[in-house]
Parts: sequence; structure tokens; C-alpha cells
Amino acid sequence: MDHSNHLFRFNASMLRLPKSAKLRAFGVYLSGALFAIGFWSIIDSAVYSKSVNASDVHVTFIDWIPFICSTSGMLIVNSIEKSNLFQDSNTTNFMSGGNTNAWAARVILFLGFSLLAGGLAGSFMVFIIKYLLKHYTFPTLGMGVSNIVCNACIMLSCIVLWLSQNIEDEYSYSLAL
Amino acid sequence: MNSLNKIIFLSAFLASGFLLILLSCALYNNYKPLWVILIFLIAPLPNIMASSIESSRDTFLTFNDNENSVTPLQEFCKSSTGFLIVSGVALPLMFYHCKLIEVGALIMSIIGGLIVYIDIVVFIWFFSHEEEENDEFNF
Repeated sequence: MDHSNHLFRFNASMLRLPKSAKLRAFGVYLSGALFAIGFWSIIDSAVYSKSVNASDVHVTFIDWIPFICSTSGMLIVNSIEKSNLFQDSNTTNFMSGGNTNAWAARVILFLGFSLLAGGLAGSFMVFIIKYLLKHYTFPTLGMGVSNIVCNACIMLSCIVLWLSQNIEDEYSYSLAL
Repeated sequence: MNSLNKIIFLSAFLASGFLLILLSCALYNNYKPLWVILIFLIAPLPNIMASSIESSRDTFLTFNDNENSVTPLQEFCKSSTGFLIVSGVALPLMFYHCKLIEVGALIMSIIGGLIVYIDIVVFIWFFSHEEEENDEFNF
């Protein structure tokens, strides 16, 4: 690898992730668990609003929109083939169509990340506008808090899954240059 | 320990797990925690399906250079395993938080569900350990 290609002085290979298949499997399990925590947190807020809610505020479809955004963003981000992304756009590759493929992958990945971030921001927005600005006290406020917890957990699960998919085993080496 | 003793002990544990969940429903006359049984019975299924699909795949004339790498199907199955285990614990917690079940039902259904799940995993692990000496645990 020639060193003129790097943009920054500290290149990313200095902080390479530890290579282990066990760690990778654990990360995948952990991401599923985090997603479950988020999912059940928002289900909890919906059931709470239906069963023991004393106030007149209820969970409506508006509260579900950030969850839907985050989940679809997570689906998009993690179903992208990652070897498409790092094809260098400057080099002329002889295989036809590789460059447009990389561009499509980047655009779709950007869409996925913006859906994830939009989900988290939307949960904060629902919390502030629907609950915090109307000065509700805590048992009612908990429905908004669990919405934030849900979206934060889904985002964290996506991060954990992304990181653990970048962990390589000791034996396999990637042939995609 | 021969395999007959293993089967007897494991089935006794499995029965005690089912008993705990059923007690948590029947003592309080509230049959909502029964869903925990379903979740924990489904929980080992994705890994079983993934391992059987991967072992039945024909790798003879395919140019698969990295045999040790994990396929996306296996990762999806692992992720859904984690999802289902946490779901089985989170469902009674959610019921308790919404005051649909009591504390006793919460504790008994969580412990019973974990016993059922661990029992199935140990069962698979014992008998896959006997046939082939692989040291990787797939739960």
C-alpha cells in the first residue's frame, strides 16, 4: 500500500479491531439483544398507555414513526454488501459497472444512516413536543422516555452489528482488493 | 454419565421449567405468561436451521476460498437468537410494568423460561458433542 493515498496522518489501520470469531459472534448476539430491548421498550410504552395510563395522553401512530424509521434504516444499513463501498473511484477498473455500483451502494448507505439518525432525532422531537412542552409529570413522561430509549437502542444495535461485521477471523482473508 | 441418564435429567429439568411457567399462570389465574414458553421454544430454532442449511450446502466444486467465514444467513440467525432470548425475558417484565401480572408470576415465568431454553441448548450440545468432537458451542 502506498502511503500517499491517506488523507490523514493517523490512518485507520492503527486501530484495527481484534480478530476473533468468538468476539464477532458475541457482537452479533449483542446486537440482536439490543434490538430486542428497543423493540420491547416501545411495546411497553404502547401497552402502558392502553392499560394503566391515568392521564389522557395516549401513544398514537406518531410515536411509532421514529421506530419505523430506525428499523428500516437498520435493515438498509446492514443489508449492504460492504465490499462495494471501498472501491476506489479514481482507479480505472476493468470490470464494467463497478463504479456505478459503488455509487449506488454509497447513496443507499447514506439513506440508511440518515433514516437511523432521523429516527433518533424524531424520537427526541416527539418527546419534547408531545410530552415535555406540555409539562407532564413522570408516569406520563415515561412513554416519551421509552421512545427515546427504543431508538437509541436500535441505533446502538446497528453500530454493534456494523463493528462486529468488520471483525475478521484469523483464517479468512478478504480477496476483494 | 451415559446418555440415558442425561436424557432423564434433562427431561426432568425441562418439566420443572414448564411447571414453573404453568404455575406462574395458574396461581394467579392469569394466562398471559404462557407466551414465554412459545418464545423460548422458538429461540433455539434459528441456529439449528442455520447449521443444518450450512452443513447441507455443497462445497465441492464451488470456488469458496474462505470456508471459515460466516455467511449472512448465520449472522441473521445469531442476531435473531439474541432477539428472541431478550424477548423472552422482556415480555414478562413488560407485563409486570403494565400491571398485568404479579411479581411472583414475573419471577417464576422468567426463571422457568430460562430453564427451558438452557435445557434445550444443553441437550443439543451434549448430543452434538458425542457425535463429533467439535469444541464450538452453538447455542
